[in-house]
Amino acid sequence: MEAASASVTTADHEHHGPPPANRSSRVEAQTLGMLLFIISEIMVFGAFFTAYFFIRVVKGDHWFPFHGDVLPVAVAGVNTAILLSSSLTMHWAQTSIKHDNRFGLKAGILSTFLLGLTFLFVQVNEYVHVGFSPRDHAQGTIFYGLTGLHGAHVFIGLTLLAMVTVRSFRGHYSSKEHRGVEVPGIYWHFVDAMWIIVYSSVYVL
Amino acid sequence: MAAKLRAPGFYRAGTFTLGGVVFSLALTYLVRMSYGHGRFHHFIAPNAILTVSLIAAPLAFLVGLGAFDYWFYWAAGKPTRPEDHSSHGAHSWRDYFRVNTDHKVIGIQYTVTSFFFLLVGGLMAMLMRAELAQPGSQFVDSNTFNGLFSVHASLLIFLFIIPVFAGLANFVLPLMIGAPDMAFPRLNALSYWLLPIAGLMMIASFFAPGGSFASGWTAYAPLSDTAPIGQVFFTLAVQFAGASSIATALNFLVTIITMRAPGMSFFRMPLLVWANFATSLLVVIATPFIASSQFFILLDRGLGFNFFNAGRGGDVLMYQHVFWFYSHPAVYIMMLPGFGIVSEIIAVKSRKPIFGYRMMAFSLVAIVVLGFTVWAHHMFVSGMQAWIRIPMMITTAIIAVPTGIKIFSWLATLWKGVLHLDTPMLFALGFLTMFTLGGISGVMLAMVPLDIHVSDTYFIVAHIHYVLFGGSLFTIFAGVYYWFPKMTGRMFDERLGRMHFWLTFIFFNLTFAPMHIIGLQGMPRRVADYSSQYAGWNLVISLSSFVLGASILIFVYNIVSSWRGGPRAPANPWRGMTLEWQVSSPPPIFNFDAVPTVVGGPYEYGVPGAVHGIFKGGAEVKPAPAGTVARPARE
Repeated sequence: MEAASASVTTADHEHHGPPPANRSSRVEAQTLGMLLFIISEIMVFGAFFTAYFFIRVVKGDHWFPFHGDVLPVAVAGVNTAILLSSSLTMHWAQTSIKHDNRFGLKAGILSTFLLGLTFLFVQVNEYVHVGFSPRDHAQGTIFYGLTGLHGAHVFIGLTLLAMVTVRSFRGHYSSKEHRGVEVPGIYWHFVDAMWIIVYSSVYVL
Repeated sequence: MAAKLRAPGFYRAGTFTLGGVVFSLALTYLVRMSYGHGRFHHFIAPNAILTVSLIAAPLAFLVGLGAFDYWFYWAAGKPTRPEDHSSHGAHSWRDYFRVNTDHKVIGIQYTVTSFFFLLVGGLMAMLMRAELAQPGSQFVDSNTFNGLFSVHASLLIFLFIIPVFAGLANFVLPLMIGAPDMAFPRLNALSYWLLPIAGLMMIASFFAPGGSFASGWTAYAPLSDTAPIGQVFFTLAVQFAGASSIATALNFLVTIITMRAPGMSFFRMPLLVWANFATSLLVVIATPFIASSQFFILLDRGLGFNFFNAGRGGDVLMYQHVFWFYSHPAVYIMMLPGFGIVSEIIAVKSRKPIFGYRMMAFSLVAIVVLGFTVWAHHMFVSGMQAWIRIPMMITTAIIAVPTGIKIFSWLATLWKGVLHLDTPMLFALGFLTMFTLGGISGVMLAMVPLDIHVSDTYFIVAHIHYVLFGGSLFTIFAGVYYWFPKMTGRMFDERLGRMHFWLTFIFFNLTFAPMHIIGLQGMPRRVADYSSQYAGWNLVISLSSFVLGASILIFVYNIVSSWRGGPRAPANPWRGMTLEWQVSSPPPIFNFDAVPTVVGGPYEYGVPGAVHGIFKGGAEVKPAPAGTVARPARE
C-alpha cells in the first residue's frame, strides 16, 4: 500500500502539466457534452409543452383562431422552410471542412447564419403584427412562451454561428481540426428539429 | 488600483456588479419610456429594476471575477492558446477565493460553501423551534416565520444537500476513476461560482420590501404569482442553483464516460461513481423542469403572462405537475450520492467485498427510471384528476423495491464482517437505521388514504427530516469524515467525531420522532402558532433541537482544529482499495504521475490475490492483510 503511494510523490509537477487522460470512449468529450446539454434543452421545451398540453388538452380550451385572433400559418410555413434550409447549408459547411474545402465551409456557414437571422427577423415581425399579446389570454401566453423560447434558442445558436463564421474566415479549421464547426452544428440542427415540433403543434394542429 | 480593476478578481467583480445594476436601471427606464408611460415617476419602477438587477448583477459579477475570461478570448476569434495551468491548484488560502480550475480546489470550495449554508439554514431552524417552543407568538411574527421555513428549506435543499454531494464527488470522483481532472475544468469553476450567488440571493430576500419569500420551498402558484417582491429572489436563485447543478452533472457524465483509466470498465467502477452517474442523469433530465416552472412565474410576474392566471385561462395545477416532475426526482438527487458514499464506507470498514455489486448498480438505475413515474404522489389532495392517484400509489410503492435491495445488500455486506466502528462507519450505520425508518414512513405516505389524513401535518415534516437529515446528512457527515484525511492531509479527532455522532443520533431522534405523533394527531406544518394540546411535545422537540443544533459546533470545531493542526494523515489511513487512496494525502497537484491500469473490482477486501489497479513501476493495489493498521504520523 505504501509502495503504491510512494510512487506518486508530492513534488512540484506544475510545469509539465497532468499526464494525458485515458480516452475510455470513442465519443469526444465536447460532442458528448453538447448532446447531454441538448437533452436538458429538450426537457425545458418539454415543460413548456406541458403548459401547452394543460391549456389545450387537459382543460380543453379553444385554440387559434378564436376571438378573432389568427396565427399567420402560411408566413410561418415559409419561415419554417427558411430555417430548415439553414440545416442543409450547415450540413454543407460540415462536410466541406471534413474534405478541406475552405470555400464550402465559408459559404455554408455564412448562408446558415444569414438564413437564421432571416428566420429571427420574420419571427419578430410576426410578433409585431400578430395582433394579440401574452397578457390577453392563456393561449397568447402559450404562443409567445413556446415561440419565444424557441426564438431565444435561435439567438443562442446564431451567437455560436457568428463565432464559427469569424473563425472560418480566419482559416482556423481544417479536416483535422473541425470540432469547432461540428459541435455548434449539432446545436443548430437541434434548434431546427425543435422548430418543426413547435410549428406543427402551435400553428398547424 | 487601476490595474486591480482590470485584472480578474473581486475588485473587478465589484465594479462590474455595480455596472450590472446601472445597466438594469437604464434598461428598465428605456423600455418603460419606449412603451409610453406618461409621467416621469412611471419610468422608475423599483420592482422592475430589482428583478432585472437580480439577473444582470450576478452575471456581471461572474464576468468581473473572471469566470468567462477564457471563453470571451475564444469567442473573439483569437487563436487558441495552450493550457498553461495557471489557474490550477491552490498555494495559499487566497486561491480558494478565485476562479480555480482544479477539481480538488473546487471540491473543497463546494463543500465549505455548502456547509456555510447548512449553518445559516440550521440557525433559521433554531429560530423556528424557539418560536414553536410554546403556543402563541413569542419571537417572530407569522410572516417572518413563513419566510424562515421557506428560506430554511430552500437553502438546505438547493445550497446544501445537492451541492455538497457535488463537492465531495468533485474531489473524489476524478481520483477514483484515474483521471487527472474533470472533463471541463472551466465549466466546473463556473458551476461552483454560481452557488454562492444563489445562496446569498436567498438570504438577501429577508431585506426585500414585504419580507422574504414566504410560499415554502415549493412556491406554489398562484401565491408565488402575487406574493411581494421577495418571491423573485427565490425564482432567480433557483435558476442560478439549477444552472450550477446541470453544468456539474453534465461534467460528471462526460468525465465518467470519457476519462476512465484503462481497464476500468463500468462494472469495475466504485459505487460512488455509479451513484454520481445515476444522479447526474437525473439532474440533466429533471432540473430543466424546475427552471421552467420558475420561468413561468418570472414571466407571469414580470411581463404579465397568464400561465397561472385562472381569470384568463391559465392553469394553476400545471405548476404543481411541472414542479414535482423535477422535485420528486430531486429527492433521489439528494439521496443517490449518499448511497454511493455509504457503499464505499461499509465495504472498507467491514473488510468485505460489497454484497451484490451489480444489483447495487442496477438498483441505482432502476431508481432513476422509476423516479420519473411517481411525481403526482405529492398531489393527492391538490384536486387533480382522481384516476392518477392509484397508478402513482403503485409506482411509489414499487420504488421501495430497488431501495430495499440496497439496504439488504449493505446488511449482507456487514454480515460477519470485521467491523471498524469509527466515526465514518458510525454515521454510515446511523444512516442505515434512520433512512430505513424514513423509507418506511415514505411507503406509508404512498398510500392514498393515509396521505390524505396526514397531508400538510408534522408527519410530513418528520418523514422529510428522517430521509434528508437521518438519510442524506448522515451520509454527508460520513463522507466528510471518511475523505477528510485525503482532502486536507490531516486526521480528524476521533473522540470528538464519536461524540458528534452520538449527540446527533440521539437528539435527531428526540427532535423528529415525536413529530410523527403530533402529525398523526393533526398538528399542521408551516404555521407559526398551534393549539395548546400539542404544547408538551413541542417543548420536547424544541429543547432537543437546540442540543442537535449545538452538536454541529463540535463538528465545526473538530474540522477546523484538525485542519489547522491535526496529525498528518498517511496516504491510506483506512486501507481502502479505490484509487484515490493510492496517491498521497492531499493528492499531488495533477493527481497521478501516470494513469494507473485497472485490472479488477474495487471492493475485493479479504480476497486473496485480488488486485484493483497497477501503477507505473508495477506497484499493485491489493487488499491489505488483516491486522495491519496504517498509523497517522505525529508531527
